[in-house]
Amino acid sequence: MTKEEIIIKLSTIVKPYIQNEEGFKNISEDTDFMNDLEINSANLVDIVLDVEDEFNIIIDNDSMDKMLTIKSVVEIIKEKQSSE
Amino acid sequence: MIGNDVVDLQLAETQSNWQRKGFLEKQFSLKEQHNILEAKNSFLRVWLFWSMKEAAYKCYTQQYEKRFFAPQKFVCKLISEHEGIVCFEGNEFYTTTFFDRSYVYTIATDTQKETSVFSSIGSPKTIDLDIKIKLEEETGISYKEIIQRKTPIGAPLYFHKDKLLTNSCSISHHGNYGAFAFMIEDEY
Repeated sequence: MTKEEIIIKLSTIVKPYIQNEEGFKNISEDTDFMNDLEINSANLVDIVLDVEDEFNIIIDNDSMDKMLTIKSVVEIIKEKQSSE
Repeated sequence: MIGNDVVDLQLAETQSNWQRKGFLEKQFSLKEQHNILEAKNSFLRVWLFWSMKEAAYKCYTQQYEKRFFAPQKFVCKLISEHEGIVCFEGNEFYTTTFFDRSYVYTIATDTQKETSVFSSIGSPKTIDLDIKIKLEEETGISYKEIIQRKTPIGAPLYFHKDKLLTNSCSISHHGNYGAFAFMIEDEY
């Protein structure tokens, strides 16, 4: 899966939790979940679980630590998929 | 330092499902999970622990200036229904929680010393103005001359010209609620 394909899937996952439409329209690798999309931290775990389900991977605590931007999630997905 | 976190219980109920597979395991220690499952109101206990962790995290990040997502590593211990201690990498944070029918609100500090904390819950839309008005009351400086700046990690600070007024400030919003907690510089 390419980076672009992952970002498209991630957009669908985060959509229910976003509070900043403008930020969502401009979603890119550099998008920060909390600063740009105004996603509440209480929903970050929902995103972690949705990503696990959608990409069929397990996100351990050390990876979860970094899950603040689209870029970091793409990296985690790529890393997990290549190690399987 | 001070950190705060408000949870709108109605939004928490509709937007998050704490019984979802993996939800507790990802965020809570085994001990916390047991405590949640044995509580009279598990839903409320989930959000009590969450707000304790989040308030402690906000306290910690102001000091260490780094962001991360590691709720499980912030370990909660309840001392009473309202008070608790959160431990993270050798740091202790002391929490006080306020329960309302429609929200749970926690304030965390990193000291047990008696400190003057100004805090209030209102609408998320007026929070910045609410803080400025409170600062005007405490410092005598007109709210119109008080401005907010953010640290690189996004923590708010309030200034009058180039002079810092708050020595620690935390803002939280969720659903219908916006809350602030701050401490002011000693001279005021």
